[in-house]
Amino acid sequence: MILDTLTVDPDTFAAATGWESKPEGLCKGDQCVPAPEAATADGRLDVAAAAERLGMAIVEDAERGLFAVGPESGGRALTTAVVPDLPFTDADGNPFSLTSLHGRKVLLVAWASW
Amino acid sequence: MAVWIDETGTLVRPPESASIEPSPLRDMEITDDLPERMRMMLTEVKKIPDMAEDYRAAIVDWVEHGAESRFALAPHEVIAASLPRPREHSRAAALFELGCHLHDTVGKDAAVPYWKQAHAAHPENWTYKRQAWTLESTPPGEASDMTQEVSDTYGTTWLDDVVALGGGDTYGIRPAL
Repeated sequence: MILDTLTVDPDTFAAATGWESKPEGLCKGDQCVPAPEAATADGRLDVAAAAERLGMAIVEDAERGLFAVGPESGGRALTTAVVPDLPFTDADGNPFSLTSLHGRKVLLVAWASW
Repeated sequence: MAVWIDETGTLVRPPESASIEPSPLRDMEITDDLPERMRMMLTEVKKIPDMAEDYRAAIVDWVEHGAESRFALAPHEVIAASLPRPREHSRAAALFELGCHLHDTVGKDAAVPYWKQAHAAHPENWTYKRQAWTLESTPPGEASDMTQEVSDTYGTTWLDDVVALGGGDTYGIRPAL
């Protein structure tokens, strides 16, 4: 997640990380982490506070005013087995949703030419 | 790499290497006329465990038997079977992503310092390394340089790192079938 500020809309944070702001805390799948200090008075999210709670590393490029936020840590790479609705593009350039394949088994292969 | 997703959109196996046929590199003869480093690379490639036949059979079994397949895991087993993620790996992911962003918006030279840090933070992550090496050794528009030997920028190569991490027989994430 690349940012130019560490205070963001909670929906932006959720879209990039899968962690949604709920009354019980920051939640992903079945997992919720209390993070009251991450909520700002104006309804935005303090990314540094949320990242600290979730074990997300933050790297700063001070010269360019950028921040990169890593994924949550301290457990396993997967926090849920439910596949997120990742945005894909088909061979014709049209949006493609994995959810359109519900009801069928899917083998999702990632490959690179190197 | 591949994941298996059932009819409800739930993973039944964690990400893992997903060959269904042996790499043709395994069949290459290591002849004396090949450059020494290419011979060494092929020697390590041939050590990479070949699970293609077993993996293909496992997929077929899952297709036929669904959740009853012995290769299909319950959600909590999928999570438990995924890789551990210490904080240093989170930092490596952030460094790599920042490098990618700078590569696209500024240029390769801006990305290199962050990619080098990502390599140091997560040495076992071949995606971080091979992406950076390929961009270093392959001119734009040309086919990927498989040997990835031009590495003055990074100071290491696929061969160096495979050997340092235990040899070809430990390369990649083998499916635990």
